[in-house]
Amino acid sequence: MPRVFITGLGFVTSIGNDAATVVDHLRTLRHGLELYPPFQQPDIPCKVTGTIKGFTTDSTDPEDWTFPAAYSIKRELLRSMAPSGLYAHCAMLQAIADARLAPPDLSNPDTGLYAASGGSPFLTHYHHERLQKFGVTRCSPLGIVASIVGTLNFNLVAAFRIQGASCGFSSACASSAHALGFAHDELVLGRQKRMLIVGAEDGNRDAILPFAGMRTLSLQKDPALASRPFDAARDGFVGTGGATVMVLETEDEVARRGVTPYAEVLGWGQASDGHNVAISHPEGLGSAAAMRLALRASRVEPNEVDYVNAHATSTLIGDISEARALRAVFGAALPQVAVSSTKALTGHGLSLAGVMESAFCALALRHGFVPGCANLATVDPECAGLNLPRTTEARPVRTVLKNSSGFGGANVAVLFRRAA
Amino acid sequence: MGFTFVPPATYILWTMSEAAATPTPPNKPVAPAPKPFAPEDEVTLRESLKRCSPSTFEAAIQFRKTGNADHVPAVVIGVIERFVEPDLRVKLKDADDDLRLIEDLGIDSLTMMEIVILVEDVLQMSINNEELRNLRTVGDVKTFIDCKVRGLPLPKPTKFLPIEHIGTVMPIQPPFLFLNEASVSSTSASGKYKISGQEFFLQGHFKDNPVMPASIMLEALGQLAVLYLLEGAPAEPGKRVSPQTIFFTGCEGVRAHRLCKPGDILSLSVKPKRMKMPLATFEGSIRVGADKAVIAEEITLTFGFVDIVEAPAPVAAAAAPLRAAVNA
Repeated sequence: MPRVFITGLGFVTSIGNDAATVVDHLRTLRHGLELYPPFQQPDIPCKVTGTIKGFTTDSTDPEDWTFPAAYSIKRELLRSMAPSGLYAHCAMLQAIADARLAPPDLSNPDTGLYAASGGSPFLTHYHHERLQKFGVTRCSPLGIVASIVGTLNFNLVAAFRIQGASCGFSSACASSAHALGFAHDELVLGRQKRMLIVGAEDGNRDAILPFAGMRTLSLQKDPALASRPFDAARDGFVGTGGATVMVLETEDEVARRGVTPYAEVLGWGQASDGHNVAISHPEGLGSAAAMRLALRASRVEPNEVDYVNAHATSTLIGDISEARALRAVFGAALPQVAVSSTKALTGHGLSLAGVMESAFCALALRHGFVPGCANLATVDPECAGLNLPRTTEARPVRTVLKNSSGFGGANVAVLFRRAA
Repeated sequence: MGFTFVPPATYILWTMSEAAATPTPPNKPVAPAPKPFAPEDEVTLRESLKRCSPSTFEAAIQFRKTGNADHVPAVVIGVIERFVEPDLRVKLKDADDDLRLIEDLGIDSLTMMEIVILVEDVLQMSINNEELRNLRTVGDVKTFIDCKVRGLPLPKPTKFLPIEHIGTVMPIQPPFLFLNEASVSSTSASGKYKISGQEFFLQGHFKDNPVMPASIMLEALGQLAVLYLLEGAPAEPGKRVSPQTIFFTGCEGVRAHRLCKPGDILSLSVKPKRMKMPLATFEGSIRVGADKAVIAEEITLTFGFVDIVEAPAPVAAAAAPLRAAVNA
């Protein structure tokens, strides 16, 4: 079975639009949360999001959008994008440059792309409103491909002339972790030599506000206190958007192209709670099962794991479930395993979260640090026993586990190892 | 029973109709609703055309206020320009009607839909999908929209005719046929002829110096005009132009600008100026590459109609005995 390596990363996130800025934020634990202007209204109880800086995507017309001058995108491509598509396109360009991929390396039957996003409720709303108001003939011919859940893969596969495997994943907040897991399998099974994994979300009013209906969003007005995974005072998650792209390649391709990988993807596992449509299993049953499967598939013992990048979104129930799952899986090894949720810095990226945080793990492995638990003042007694470093520790990290969970009780765990 | 071909710009006004207020059946021409143009309409119009040139907006507002269809081409060109990638927009500056939407301007079918939606919005009209399929050039689009706005019958699409087809329909045959291929629409015809060097008359025109005779080049333009009459000209219902009735009657303002020799490819074009049975007058020109070769201000042909006969003769002949047998 070929080994699989991470060879390129691209970021448009609330904590930076390039790898260097993201590393800086992870090291210094500076968050990317702000009071979000569209939420500053009396009838909207939540106020904070993880904002994307340097981009404006408020308009329903992509030609109104602004983005950093380093990116030049033709109208022909822009017209079918949602805001998440723009973020993803820019992150793609970064990841391609980072992995030193030339156009022929991208556009061939051995290179595929898996994507995850919740689509664009923002544009869906806009186009449906036009449909109702003006009738079918006044609707944009590209409204559908800009809005529906597959919008990321439609746009990116066409724009970058991808010829290998492509599809989208839809398991809510576990989506891009699923994409990563199945992309890994494509390489292990010898079906593809290279896979790009893309996660992106609009992160705007229409994408985030519906979660307020579920009462899962933090109502904190202070951006520095809004996202507090594992803290006793946490009161819900903070939404964010943006994009992350990760390039996976087989060991043969890594050797052939002479690139230095960030890390190896050792293996992954997934399991479902079988419990509730939106509430995680109180004991973290599915999450624990996914971690155990990932460890077994990767031939890694719990005591070999240096760091767990938790799914913990800062919700009351979810963080406790995951803490219980971690206790069950790691047992006696628990004190040696550093655990943190970088959602304290970024906010919760929904479909984007899995690949974004996996990319953070890749940065931690390459640069040698364990991201700390930002904003953590008082650990929730229910989460006791976890090794939760309050600051980022600069030390070599060898093996890292990434957890992701989504609606319906879908759980994914992925294991990474520093490239030797 | 003659009919008159008048260039669209000389139509004074079209009749206002209630068509825009009620659902329109396919291909039924639509005229703007007679509702007065309100200040809030101007705001909407400005928003719709915010990425078009100021002159496009001006033309659109004039059209909406006065209903004068002379403003329509400027609106259509302005909308097309807005959807063409900036580096290709220079091509639209000269606004050559033969500019091709796909090949020259990079407009795909989705962009075409975007153009149509904006034109519909700005000119307050409806366009069916089927009507779009035959629009290949900027000229096709202009003519099409113009006919829609004025409530005229829609033009026949541009037809490409290979040599086999030309030979089948033309009364003129080799070795005296000087068209290799042609495209015919309801407003013009264009064609190509490559001087092979094997033409019989080049042996004597001139001695040791083969030059295409100007009279033959004029003949080639005349042949293209014949093809237009047979394949492009609007005819009366139930009638068609008969190939046997077409003859040359006169020409005016003919000038030759360039010697044309074996190997040259003549690009011919003719446009009807006037058509009133039994006379049709065209303007014509020949280019070789970018060079002007021949100009003819007027070439006039005479023509006549015959009734269209249903069902091809061989089938009718074969079916006749059977029918007779059944009747017996």
